[in-house]
Amino acid sequence: MKRRFAVTAALAVVCAGVELVAGRGMSPGAVWDVLGGGGDATERHILLQLRLPRMLVALGAGASLAVAGLVLQSALRNPLAGPEVTGVTPGAVLGAVTATALGLAGWDSPLAVVLAACVGGCAGAALLWLLAGRGRGDPAQTAVQGVLVSAVLGGLTAMVLLVEPGELGSVVQWLVGTTEGRVWEHWHLLWPWALVWGAAAWLLAGPLTLLRCGDDIALTAGLAARRARTLALLCAVALTAGAVAAVGALGFVGLLVPHLAVAVHGADLRAGLPGAALLGAVVVCGADAAAQLSSRLLAAGLDADRLTLPVGALTACLGAALLLVVVRRTPSRTF
Amino acid sequence: MRTVEPGPAAVRARRPALRVPGRQPLLAVVLLALSSLCALSLGTPTVPPHRLVGAVLEGDTTLAGIVVNELRVPRLVLALVAGACLGAAGLVLQEALRNPLAVPEMLGVSSGAALGVAAPLVLALSLPAAVQPLLAIGGAVLGGGLTLLAAGLGRSPSAVLLTGAAVAAALQAALLVLMVMADQLDLQLIYRYLLGSLSARTWDDVTGLWPWLLVAVPALVLCAPVLSVMRLGDEDAEALGVRAQRARLAALAIAVVLIAPVTAVCGPVAWVGFLAPHLARWFNPGADAVRWLCWSAVWGAVVVTAADVPARLALAPVETPVGAWTALLGVPAGVALMRSRGRGRVRRAAAASGTSGTVPGNAKTVPSAGADRALAPAHDPRGDAPGNARPDPGAVNGTEDAR
Repeated sequence: MKRRFAVTAALAVVCAGVELVAGRGMSPGAVWDVLGGGGDATERHILLQLRLPRMLVALGAGASLAVAGLVLQSALRNPLAGPEVTGVTPGAVLGAVTATALGLAGWDSPLAVVLAACVGGCAGAALLWLLAGRGRGDPAQTAVQGVLVSAVLGGLTAMVLLVEPGELGSVVQWLVGTTEGRVWEHWHLLWPWALVWGAAAWLLAGPLTLLRCGDDIALTAGLAARRARTLALLCAVALTAGAVAAVGALGFVGLLVPHLAVAVHGADLRAGLPGAALLGAVVVCGADAAAQLSSRLLAAGLDADRLTLPVGALTACLGAALLLVVVRRTPSRTF
Repeated sequence: MRTVEPGPAAVRARRPALRVPGRQPLLAVVLLALSSLCALSLGTPTVPPHRLVGAVLEGDTTLAGIVVNELRVPRLVLALVAGACLGAAGLVLQEALRNPLAVPEMLGVSSGAALGVAAPLVLALSLPAAVQPLLAIGGAVLGGGLTLLAAGLGRSPSAVLLTGAAVAAALQAALLVLMVMADQLDLQLIYRYLLGSLSARTWDDVTGLWPWLLVAVPALVLCAPVLSVMRLGDEDAEALGVRAQRARLAALAIAVVLIAPVTAVCGPVAWVGFLAPHLARWFNPGADAVRWLCWSAVWGAVVVTAADVPARLALAPVETPVGAWTALLGVPAGVALMRSRGRGRVRRAAAASGTSGTVPGNAKTVPSAGADRALAPAHDPRGDAPGNARPDPGAVNGTEDAR
């Protein structure tokens, strides 16, 4: 177990390192110079004010999304529950966009954006709850209904964006999920939020592990299943909202990283939750590094200077491919 | 104005009085007339209904004439045609895949078509207008084909849908990459287009649709009886002399040909292909696929026309895309319709399993109503909805037509 954690942590460090040297504008050698205390003012600015916060935001957002996904899947006992397919992410996007359009929150008051995203996420989850009804029996059906809820919320977001077209340019990057241009303010906002709710999720790890076994066993073990589930859902929504407010709707991280985490670290969430956090950080940070590298290569190859590949596009494609593999590989199960 | 919307129909879902078969034409015609009238007369300048004929006849000589003839009438015609195409395509998809949730949005067809149209816009390739529907068709075939290839044709509906969601997400991501690359002006255009908008469409756009319709409509007429047979399930259909796999592929191709040109002209107007077939089925649950196809087209036209009125006027002077309205109202309404039908089905299945010990059709699928009805034993002790539980005569007719 410890060795697995060590390997994941090492991977995270490697990804973070690659992320630091992957961007355009300065060579790896220059990065080394700056880290050693040298370098000129521009290079120092690029590394310390742009790349470092970007890397940290990617790590934090990935960890939050993965933990939120694992908590959701455990609390709902649904392997297909992720923030994206339970209406939480689209709801959070809607909340943030609405608050920005109404002038309640701006990019200068980031806490309001987080709160609005949180409210929106709760609303999205509540909408799915209403639609799916009490009998959340079939996981696949819930997932399909989640897609429908996402469609409704997406329509609402579109309405808001069309009424306030001025925001469109900045918001589009955020609809797909990107770490482009994230600075220290974002990080200062993200880490306390993620830390508080992450700690709450970790405190809930025991009850969540019981919930994974089913309500009957949880009740027999003396757990107030309903209360634990409500708390866990709140936790998941808050974590997702924080991540969405920081980097936007990163596709499929919250759906697929938990499966990876359970496969690597086992179903005991006391080990699984930290593992999921580390893996999520690895995945998002690695994807961001890959996106930067490939957009650099593409820009060189196609001779286009304004080409940037948002990390959300990469994770969505990766996630879609993985989901296809999963659906293909389980022919007998009807999901 | 909003009473014209399809929403109230769903609210009335609990009241069976509306389901009297004679009511459907009446309701459809009234809604269609009302929304067409609103579409033609409201706006700036307002043309009162009694002056509409005069304005049309005046032609280009007055302002009202120009506005009505050159802006509002083509828009109305486009809404009708697009709605009918999408509604019919939705029904074809749902019947061919025997999946009540098989809609273009969920199969990646719409996102593929949108990608095909948006790519040249962003990459600043200048293409002749005639090529655009071809690109849309290429994209739609790519999206739908990818989904069906990855999922396999005979798989359970949920597997197909999840695969479709994955494919759609990947295509959407590609689209968003394009959008990030676009500059602010293109971005507005693309975003509006992606949500499905009927604004500023002229007669040129309408005439661009005709050639495709000429291909699609005869094909639809030919394939409709086969669809009735497909509802019985693959084995029964094969026994009746239909090559199920080939017929399914043909139906999918027709759906693509219906959807792609519409998407090329007015963007993916969302979820019409979901709502319209469910409305048609809900109104006469005992009919066969041929009649559902007609009514689905009619309801599609009604939905798009009705949704276009608030899209044009609700937030004037800003135009909202019609696709956003259909998504907002169509999804809840469609889900409500589906659930009101599903509840009856569950009750019937429970009753059937109580009497004969077999749970029809639930072993591996969430079957469409048609499949369920074909599989369900006819001896339903409760018979909660008249004509709902018995094998309907229409299906038999369809079978004979196919021969």
